[in-house]
Amino acid sequence: MIEKIRGRVWKLRDNIDTDVIYPGKYLPIIDAPEMAKHALEGLDKGFPGKIKKGDILLAGNNFGCGSSREQAATSLKYAGISCIIAKSFSRIFFRNAINQGLALVESKEAYDLIKEGQEITVDYKSGEIIFNSQKLSFPPLPDFVMGILEDGGLIEHVKKKIKTERLN
Amino acid sequence: MKPPKKEELLKLQKEYKTDRRIAEAIGVPKYLVTYWRKKKKIDKHIFPKYSEETIKDLWERLGNDEEAGAELSISAAAFYKWRKKYNIKEKPKVLRLAQLEFDLSKSPVNPPQTIAQKILALKVGKREVSVGEIVEVEPDIAMSHDNAGLVIKQFKEIGVEKVWNPNRIVIPLDHRAPAESEKTATAHRSIRLFVKAQGIRNFYDIKEGVCHEIMVDKAHILPGQLAVGTDSHTTSYGCIGAISTGIGATEMAGVWATGKIWLKVPDSIKIVLKGKLPLGVYAKDVILYIIKELTSEGANYKSIEFYGEPVSFMSVSERFTLCNLSMEMGAKFAIVPFDKITKKFLSKRTKKSFQPIWADENAIYEKKYEFDISKLEPQIACPHSLDNVKPVSAVKGIKIDQVVLGSCTNGRLDDLEIAARILKGRKVHSEVRMLVIPCSKTVYLEALKKGIIRTFLEADCVVLNPGCGPCLGAHEGILAAGEKCLATTNRNFKGRMGSPESEVYLASPATAAATAIKGEIADPRDFLRRIWRSR
Repeated sequence: MIEKIRGRVWKLRDNIDTDVIYPGKYLPIIDAPEMAKHALEGLDKGFPGKIKKGDILLAGNNFGCGSSREQAATSLKYAGISCIIAKSFSRIFFRNAINQGLALVESKEAYDLIKEGQEITVDYKSGEIIFNSQKLSFPPLPDFVMGILEDGGLIEHVKKKIKTERLN
Repeated sequence: MKPPKKEELLKLQKEYKTDRRIAEAIGVPKYLVTYWRKKKKIDKHIFPKYSEETIKDLWERLGNDEEAGAELSISAAAFYKWRKKYNIKEKPKVLRLAQLEFDLSKSPVNPPQTIAQKILALKVGKREVSVGEIVEVEPDIAMSHDNAGLVIKQFKEIGVEKVWNPNRIVIPLDHRAPAESEKTATAHRSIRLFVKAQGIRNFYDIKEGVCHEIMVDKAHILPGQLAVGTDSHTTSYGCIGAISTGIGATEMAGVWATGKIWLKVPDSIKIVLKGKLPLGVYAKDVILYIIKELTSEGANYKSIEFYGEPVSFMSVSERFTLCNLSMEMGAKFAIVPFDKITKKFLSKRTKKSFQPIWADENAIYEKKYEFDISKLEPQIACPHSLDNVKPVSAVKGIKIDQVVLGSCTNGRLDDLEIAARILKGRKVHSEVRMLVIPCSKTVYLEALKKGIIRTFLEADCVVLNPGCGPCLGAHEGILAAGEKCLATTNRNFKGRMGSPESEVYLASPATAAATAIKGEIADPRDFLRRIWRSR
């Protein structure tokens, strides 16, 4: 069960697209830890090396716009990113991240209040981002979506569903 | 070729009716058939193309020259001529419900709904669904390309043995075709083995072309249906009045396993175009202009419906371009409602039955936009985002190293035709590499027949096999740092076509051809006006 995520913040601009997150030339890779070596490479070649496990991305509008390649979400997750906070997410990226079990938070205010490098806590249970003893609430994800996230992604979620259907 | 005997020619005429069709069927120019026919003293039509019964039946059934003509793929005027020939003048005695002067869609039972709402409601077997509602639906068709390799991996992870319905899965290989690396070759091989084991018939190996083109051209998707695909540009199928959207590989594995996917019923946006397309301005320019106005996230999560006179004149290919690039505003679906152009397009491609869906008259749209396109200039999407769009006059003169003509967005016959018209008798600038990629085998063959490929080769273009090629920086024309490319493709993100220090500009096929000749971003109208005058 996802409750609290604590991590250091990396700030990114608006419209971070999937080609920047995961360049097309690496698409033939199907091994997730291998994908992680190229996360956000289009923005900064050295970025994957700088990420510490548990780090949080804080982005502007339309994060993940562009391609349907889920490697964008997978690579970030396996690079160690624990959560992405953005003013808004592109539709397909949003689904891909949830399906990979990567936590997302949509918040319009967080971007201007939080600085790069700051340690913050995302509390899913109370629906709050906590930083500098300040609290910022965010709207919860629909229960349905939260269910997938809590199962650790779509694969586990579908497995569970099929199992219960068989039992019934 | 030896001229056919009189009996043979009569037989051909009986089968193909007109000189043009005979010529196409036996692969000779039309004038030759006409010449043979005249020499053998055969009339232009000795067999009426349509019998009196056919014309009478259609007239009784439809009571409208336009609709009846569309059934036979002829114009309203042509149908009228046939009708006059058989002396059928009176209005049909029995009228169908739809021909009566009352509108069923106004019945108070259902609240008015958009196309997305109506199709999704049908899918869940309800009279209506409301915006924001989450529905679990079974797609009519599920498409994956080379990334089926990843879908297969995830599908195996789930642990289900058989896919939910092998007849509803389509897999064309196009992104890296033929395989550019050992990794891709391995993925392609795993896909070939999987489709065989699972009995997936609709598998197109590297020979066929770009996935979205195949889906529409081979009528795998029909009006009123719902498609999902592991490619963002799946929105393209709206060009024939379907709703379709892109999903990730894991999500597709879920669809393969269970046949179900959850979707949120989206808000809809109505875009109405007005005016006439000026010379040298195309659907590509129109949609780039719309993206600029609405921004890259202007339609995020939304379903777009296109209306207006210019849209009603657009071919399915042009509508394809509109729906394809709507994704670049974040659209979930993009639809041009079914009409007689869609009908004609499909009548040549399928005998399957389908039920087109239109929006209700008073359907509620979140936003409505109106664009007058009559004064539009050719448009260019500049690096590194789709909404960084400028008129050609503002960026004219930027030196270009590579021009790419192709992709699901603009690699169809009409796209190649317009570029060839500009390139005919000219040469690509000596410092420019121009790559031409027909989007499918069918398009390639047609282009060969029309002499378009010859024109490209004579102009010093490099013609590549159908596929996605350099559009996504996979292979066949990767850019080096410092290089600039003008492409008819669909994305200009940083590093999209190679080095992050390269730049991609997006434009119409006409602008691409003009640019290739000049070696710098150029206005296609300068060339088109010259062609026009020399006529």
